[in-house]
Amino acid sequence: MTAIVLIDTLLLLLVTVTAVAIIEVRNLYASAMLTSVYSLLMALVWVNMHSMDVAFTEAAVGGGISTILLIGTLVHTAREEKPRKRRLDWKALLLTGLCGGALIYGTFDMPRFGDPKAPIHHFRVPEMMAQTVGFVTSRAGKQAPPEGFDPSAYRSFNGAVASVPADPTDTAWRETSILAQHGIMLPKVLGHASHPAAEHTEAGHHQHPPDDFNGHVPNSVTSLLAAYRGYDTMFETTVIFTAGVSLILLLRRPRREGYLQRSAPLADQAVLRVVTKMAIPFILLFGLYVITHGELGPGGGFQGGVVVACAFILFALIFGRPALYRVLPPPVCDLLTGLGVLMYSGTGAACLLLGGQFLDYSMLNTLSPGDGEALGMTLVEYGVGITVSMVMLTIFNQLAEEQSK
Amino acid sequence: MTDVLGIYNYWIYVVLMMIGLYGVIAKPNLIKQAIALGLFQTGIFLYYISMAVIDGGTAPIWTTIEDGAQKFQGPYDNPLPHVLILTAIVVSVSVLAVALALIINIKRSYGTIEADEIERMDHEDRLSEFRAGQALDAADDAEAHHHA
Repeated sequence: MTAIVLIDTLLLLLVTVTAVAIIEVRNLYASAMLTSVYSLLMALVWVNMHSMDVAFTEAAVGGGISTILLIGTLVHTAREEKPRKRRLDWKALLLTGLCGGALIYGTFDMPRFGDPKAPIHHFRVPEMMAQTVGFVTSRAGKQAPPEGFDPSAYRSFNGAVASVPADPTDTAWRETSILAQHGIMLPKVLGHASHPAAEHTEAGHHQHPPDDFNGHVPNSVTSLLAAYRGYDTMFETTVIFTAGVSLILLLRRPRREGYLQRSAPLADQAVLRVVTKMAIPFILLFGLYVITHGELGPGGGFQGGVVVACAFILFALIFGRPALYRVLPPPVCDLLTGLGVLMYSGTGAACLLLGGQFLDYSMLNTLSPGDGEALGMTLVEYGVGITVSMVMLTIFNQLAEEQSK
Repeated sequence: MTDVLGIYNYWIYVVLMMIGLYGVIAKPNLIKQAIALGLFQTGIFLYYISMAVIDGGTAPIWTTIEDGAQKFQGPYDNPLPHVLILTAIVVSVSVLAVALALIINIKRSYGTIEADEIERMDHEDRLSEFRAGQALDAADDAEAHHHA
């Protein structure tokens, strides 16, 4: 507790100072570089608060891609803000002061940092960790509860009793009964030795080898991302896709003849060339690893996609964009952007066709629903990864093409 | 003292958000405004992630396998805010990218990215259009008068 708070206090002070510097420094290049520093500090803050996936995303997106995009834009807009007579805008300062004062007044009613009694730690955390939240299906409602089902055994990790009503026809019961259907031994997960509901399923044919995670996804963040919030994630992928399309509409012009001709300002730098050539395969491999490994540890489609995009951007920076266009022609890039979204929604549609609900991944493998979920989530992560990497690359290409004018 | 430390994170979230808001309002440079919008967003991210923390908690990832069951390692931080913010960060970079593309288009047609200069140019355009219209009206009036 104390170590976390101490590091947190110092890091957040640094973050605040950096934020002020970003706003007040006149040189826009300095501002862009400070944004990168800010993001890296923020990533440290997230790690300190155990939010590994967010830290990963912040480091890749904020520290990497955003800075590249900002600098790419600055090259052909302006290096510096125009000098002004007044540095401080008193009216804006007063307004933000009042607004901030009201918000700070509001924080006094917030639960204290890390308080286990805070409401957020009692809302469905056990179901989220066991990845059963949102699995209300019609199948579940038809099944009678196992004999000797004891709702009080479904305790949250944080000591609160999960809301399982005595009435088995209630919706909440149906959600937990799905545990039994999927062969998830929640009581064991929770550290209880044994539970009637668990034994009931252990006798069934849904038994999993004891050395895996019951076919389930160890990283709860990924599981929530792809299952509980599956629709949201799908449409967030669509948002990114839309951003890519917007950039093409806003900035793409007919390419001039010979845009594929070699022009690489940095290609004569032997050290850069050799190091880049050696690094790119590893960056790509790491990106794919992050996407594939997303369900086991921190990472996933968003982070991995950005890492893959970084490999291509590095290639374009050193060997010139024409070289990149030969490796990955813009039409292919555009097609892949759509393919990722299609892959995501296609997985959902496949579940629908197999008789389940949209994005009910357990349908992909009826013998072992947990494995079906893992498979579905991997497919979805790859969809996200493809879209994110190709959109990031498109954005970079469009901004850079503008630059060559 | 512990009370202050208990809500310190929420104060910083307010401060970051307000720095961002100040930037959006007070800075006429459009790129600065786009960056300030990003600061505003990170303030909100901090608010969400701070809520997810629990005393003695750990990252919400199952790690230990013993005897075929995952051993309970202590309380886990709430994974839901992490998920929300994870996607929000990626959406924020999309917002930044579209904003930058618009700024480039503005630079193309106005030659500047300072909001107040753009406003002045728009104002002058409207003024000159208005004057041209006035002149046309006057000419029409004169013609009508001539015919009468």
